[in-house]
Amino acid sequence: MTTGALIFAFNNEQIDYVAMANWSAKNIHRHLDIPVCLVTDKEPIQPHVFDSVAIANPVNAGQRYFSDYNANVMWHNTNRMDAYTLSPWDQTLVLDADYVVASDQLSTVLKSRQDFLCYRWAQDVTGLQTFEDLNYFGNHRMPMWWATVMMFRRSTAAELLFDSMQMIRDNWTHYRNLYKNPNPTYRNDHALSIALNTLNGHTLKVDGIPGTLASLTPDHRLTQLDVDSYRVDFLTSDKKPRWITVTQDFHAMGKQQLGAIVANPL
Amino acid sequence: MPILSERGYLIPAVNTDTVSYTDCAEQLAMSIRQWHPNANIAILTNDRCDWSVFTHVIELPHGDQGGYANDWQVFRASPYRQTIKLEADMIAASPIDHWWTMFEKRDVVISTGCRDFYDQPATSRYYRRLFDENNLPDVYNAITYWRLSKTAQDFFSLVEKIFTNWNSYKTLLQFPEEIPSTDVVYAMAALIIGPELVTLPAGLGPTIVHMKQHMIATHTDNWTQELVWENTNPGLRINTVAQHGFVHYHNKDWRLQ
Repeated sequence: MTTGALIFAFNNEQIDYVAMANWSAKNIHRHLDIPVCLVTDKEPIQPHVFDSVAIANPVNAGQRYFSDYNANVMWHNTNRMDAYTLSPWDQTLVLDADYVVASDQLSTVLKSRQDFLCYRWAQDVTGLQTFEDLNYFGNHRMPMWWATVMMFRRSTAAELLFDSMQMIRDNWTHYRNLYKNPNPTYRNDHALSIALNTLNGHTLKVDGIPGTLASLTPDHRLTQLDVDSYRVDFLTSDKKPRWITVTQDFHAMGKQQLGAIVANPL
Repeated sequence: MPILSERGYLIPAVNTDTVSYTDCAEQLAMSIRQWHPNANIAILTNDRCDWSVFTHVIELPHGDQGGYANDWQVFRASPYRQTIKLEADMIAASPIDHWWTMFEKRDVVISTGCRDFYDQPATSRYYRRLFDENNLPDVYNAITYWRLSKTAQDFFSLVEKIFTNWNSYKTLLQFPEEIPSTDVVYAMAALIIGPELVTLPAGLGPTIVHMKQHMIATHTDNWTQELVWENTNPGLRINTVAQHGFVHYHNKDWRLQ
C-alpha cells in the first residue's frame, strides 16, 4: 500500500502558501518519511522538495478576514474534496499548509484502521481560549470537525465523503441556511462536518483522531527556537506576559508569523 | 389494580384548560408503536381519548387531584408488574425495549440528567436552580421505571405524602415552589429513600432530550419554528441530527403529522 501527504497551497497577494507547503514538506519527509504531493494552480518557480505536483483549478470562495494581516484576503481553499481524485496514493494524509509537523505523532494516524480520520476538537496551546466558538459552527452550534488534518484510505466510505463535500460546496447557500451559518464564506471544515454527519446516519457518531488539534491563534507571537521547537509569547487574561515552548505538531492559524519563520529558516 | 401484563408503558394524561395531554399521549403511544407494535401501553386519564392506540385505558383510582398531584397514583394504577412511566409530551425517536434489560435488576429507576438534541449532556442549570440550591438529585420523572416491590411501594408512598403534605415538606427546602412539581417531589423522595436505590449511576441510564429554550439555546421558546425538524417515520431529526430515546418536545401542541 502506498502512502503520502497532500498539501493544498494556492498563493494570494498576501500569503505564499507554496513556500509554507515546501517548508512543511521537509518536516514531513524528516518525521514521517513519506512522499509529499503539492496541489497548486501552477508549477512552482522556486526550487522545492515536493515529490510530485498536481495542478488544479483554485476555486475562489471569496474573501476572508485574516486578523494578523488586518485585511480581507482572497480565499482559494474550497477544493479540498478533490483530494480523493488528486491523491496518487492508497493512503493519504491531507494537511493544511499551515499545519506544522514537528514530530512523528501523525504516524499513529497512518497506522490506524479507519478509512477516514480527522480531528473533532481544536485546543488553544496557551490554554487561554476555550475555542467554544471554533469547535462549533452556525447559530445552533453544530459540532465541527476540522479539515486541517485528514487521513483517508481509498475506499467507498472515503469516496462518498469527498463526493458529499462537493455536493455541499456546490449547494452551499442551501446548507448555509440549513445550519443557520451567519458567515457566508464557504469553509472546508463546515462541509466536512455536514458530510460526516450525513454519512454516519445523522448520528454525530464519528471516529476522530485521538487527542486534540493543538492550535495557535494569530494574536499570540510565534517564533522558532530550534528545529522542531517553537516559542509562543502571549498575554494572560490579566495582561501579564508569558511564554511557552511548543515541541509538538500544531496548527499555526496566524499565517503572517509562520510565513516569517518559513522565509527565514534556521 | 390487578396485574394484567408483565411489562408495559404507562402514560398519565389529564387534560387542562389549555393543554390536551391525551392528544400528547396518543402521539407518544403511536411513536412507541412504530418501533414496538406489540408493546403494552396504558393511558391513565379520566378524559376521553382515542382508545385504539392504547392497550389499556385506566381511570385515576383516586380521581383527578389536579395537575402534578395526580402523579402519586401511578403506582396503584399501573396494570403491569414492571412499568415504565412516561410523561405525555414526548415521542419515542428510536427503539427503547432494550431498557427493560437495563432496568429489570432494579426496583425503581428515575432518569437522571438530560441531553440536548446533539446528544450531549445538557449543561444549563437554568431550570434546576432549586435542585442545586437544595442539593437534590437531578432526577427527571419523565422516564421512571419500577417493578412491584417494597422499594417502589415505599417510594410512591413517600411521593404521595410529599404531595399531600406539601406545606410541611416545602419548609425543608430553600426557595420552594408554591405548587410542587413532580420532579421536585421525586427528587425529595429519592433523597429521603436513598438516591442509590432509585437512580442509576450517572451516565448509565436513559435520559430525555430536553427541548426547553435554555437547554438548547434557541432564541425563542418555540424551537419548532426555529430549528429544522424532520419526521423520518419512524424517528425524528432535529437540525439534521437523528434523535434517539425520548424527545421531550415541551411545546404541547406540536404534532409530528
